[in-house]
Amino acid sequence: MSNPEIAEQPITSMANSILTSRRFWLILAAIVISLLPMIFTDSYWRTNLIVCAINVMLAIGLDFIIGYAGQLNLGQSAFYGIGAYVSTLLITKLGVPFWIAFGCGVLLSGIAGMLLSLFGVRLRGHYLAIASLGFAVITYQILLNWISLTQGPLGIYAIPPPPALRLAGLPIIEFSNLANLFYLTAGFALLIYVLLDQLVRSPIGETLTAIREDEVSAASLGINCQKWKVFAFAIGSSIAGAAGCFYASFVGTLVPDAFFITESFTILAMVIVGGMGTLIGPVFGAILLTVLPELLRGIGDLRLIVYGVAVTLVVLFMPGGMVQAARLTAARVRRVVRGAGTEATT
Amino acid sequence: MIKQPFSSLLISAALAGSLLVSTPGTLYAADKVIKIGALFPMSGPGSYFGAQDKQGIELAIEQINKTGINGYKLEVQFEDSSCSPLPATQAAKRLLEQYKPNVVIGEECSDATLAIMPLMEQAKIPFLNAGSSSIKVTEPGNPWTFRIMPNEVMQGVDIATNAYKKLNARTAVLLYENTNAGIGNAKVFSDTFTKLGGKILADIGFGRDVNDFTSIATRIAGVGKVDVIPTYTLEGQGLKITQALAQAGVTKGGGGQSIQLGTIWLPFGFEQKAGKASLGYVRIVQFDPTDKREIVRGFGQAFKAKYNQDPTHINAHAYDQIILIADVVRRGAKDAQSIRDGLAATKAFSGVTGSVEFDKTNQNIKMDTIHYMETLPDLSWKALGWN
Repeated sequence: MSNPEIAEQPITSMANSILTSRRFWLILAAIVISLLPMIFTDSYWRTNLIVCAINVMLAIGLDFIIGYAGQLNLGQSAFYGIGAYVSTLLITKLGVPFWIAFGCGVLLSGIAGMLLSLFGVRLRGHYLAIASLGFAVITYQILLNWISLTQGPLGIYAIPPPPALRLAGLPIIEFSNLANLFYLTAGFALLIYVLLDQLVRSPIGETLTAIREDEVSAASLGINCQKWKVFAFAIGSSIAGAAGCFYASFVGTLVPDAFFITESFTILAMVIVGGMGTLIGPVFGAILLTVLPELLRGIGDLRLIVYGVAVTLVVLFMPGGMVQAARLTAARVRRVVRGAGTEATT
Repeated sequence: MIKQPFSSLLISAALAGSLLVSTPGTLYAADKVIKIGALFPMSGPGSYFGAQDKQGIELAIEQINKTGINGYKLEVQFEDSSCSPLPATQAAKRLLEQYKPNVVIGEECSDATLAIMPLMEQAKIPFLNAGSSSIKVTEPGNPWTFRIMPNEVMQGVDIATNAYKKLNARTAVLLYENTNAGIGNAKVFSDTFTKLGGKILADIGFGRDVNDFTSIATRIAGVGKVDVIPTYTLEGQGLKITQALAQAGVTKGGGGQSIQLGTIWLPFGFEQKAGKASLGYVRIVQFDPTDKREIVRGFGQAFKAKYNQDPTHINAHAYDQIILIADVVRRGAKDAQSIRDGLAATKAFSGVTGSVEFDKTNQNIKMDTIHYMETLPDLSWKALGWN
């Protein structure tokens, strides 16, 4: 005990093990989520929090397809739209309960993703990007022009929020309350994150990474690349469908323009800015690209210029995204600290 | 107080930028203030609306604040609502929560307006609209939303009736963008025109992503004798349509006989951009610069002096929104509820676009806000004086 170096070692290793523990970070994320509506008490910032949660779902769903399976998908806006329209039409036209409609929206988005990947299974890189972009355009045109079903540009209005949750012995949880709706959407986003995190750390994740790195080599090892690519698309598109269901019940208004192809590029930007293939990176990318334009509202007409410049700078100077930048910074800090420690000892 | 959700170098830079927040208008320590929230598209394809709205509003505010009204000054805060429901919702909530306006004006696009309306109703803040034409804005009626602009039914019925009676048109081809307002306007024209005895030869809708109208123009050239072509679209596509129709020899601008009928949506200066292709184009505008009324001449001169350009109808309807609010304040309104009540009680208000009197759905019933113009060979306008 008299030697401070011996005493410091277990403390440092304990701190390291806590900081590298996934459970610690997940508990911290849950605590942050639970605190956010208490910090941001006005409806404007709570609205932005919900948009953040929806965008996080979209970004991690796309990251699973692009970052882990290596499939350049530009059709995420289509799956987002399918989820939104399927759930809304079931609720408003057939009176289907929200959670059943939600399940159908997620399921149909997943099926759409599977179908797209089945058709595009032989395509790679730019060709797959063009095919998925085409799928997004077709879906948008269907939403726009099948007026008898989707109302097209006439839009669907007054979409109700998710029904109140009644649990025995607890007060009724109304989702017309923005804080509750945030807990619901952010809770879902966290749940999806945890599931994807488990998935990418399992042999399935390794399989997908193998396909991403070299499809021919992966196939030579006996991996059925087609099957796993379809799987990745199904998962990623289902998540986008879930985000769409929440979007419709949150905004209360549905027009096809919300799912135009530019939305796919916005989601892709979130993934790239955050750090592709890291899962946590797109979370921060989605938060940044949602919050930044709102923070910049104060500068009026210059807002989008500053936003564009900021995003360009991130891509230029942090090609691996925010996660890579954070890792490099942490490594530098560690080196500096170690250097200072060595100097002090000598 | 807004707290940062997380810190990073980039966010810090962004925040440093956002610290340059422009204080809304000028602060008037000695005066009472009526706070006006302004939701307009400042970005995206509808941003030309926002830029022109801002000019009209700033001119009106400047004029009114020289003397004030009943001891009140007007103050305005602009937010970019981007012509789309989600950004409009975010912008509206920011306005309501942080600026706490007494009245809100905007949006131009019906989709965005319809998304904002429930928020204003919930917050009990009067919402004055001048640019959205969808019937849903005032039908069945929302106690907090008022519209100066004639709705799609009023416009559509009027254009169809004048096309049939004044232009002796008997055949028409409908061209419209697939949006809430485009479809609504085209349908009303079609219903009215066919009821009068006219015939719709083709009904052509298109998305905002269409860039080439050659095939559509060629198709119209082949449907037979077309008297009028009512066109419902924003400026960018409108220019391409007008030029394609002229190149196909359909409209007067290309040596044909058809007359293109345009809407309130197009800004002034459209003819100069379209060139000779717009010859004979008949369109409705919300503002007639040849109007001899004192208020119109004064507005035109003041606008020219401030911006060194002639005002457009978008400048004009934005200007009217402010002077209508000033009129309501002059009549004793001082908070959201009394501004709402004052707007509802408006009778025979005369603005630069025309008169305003709201019905029980808060729709302006005065039709003198619709002015018909015909494009002459030198690309100037002739007022047709049909209303």
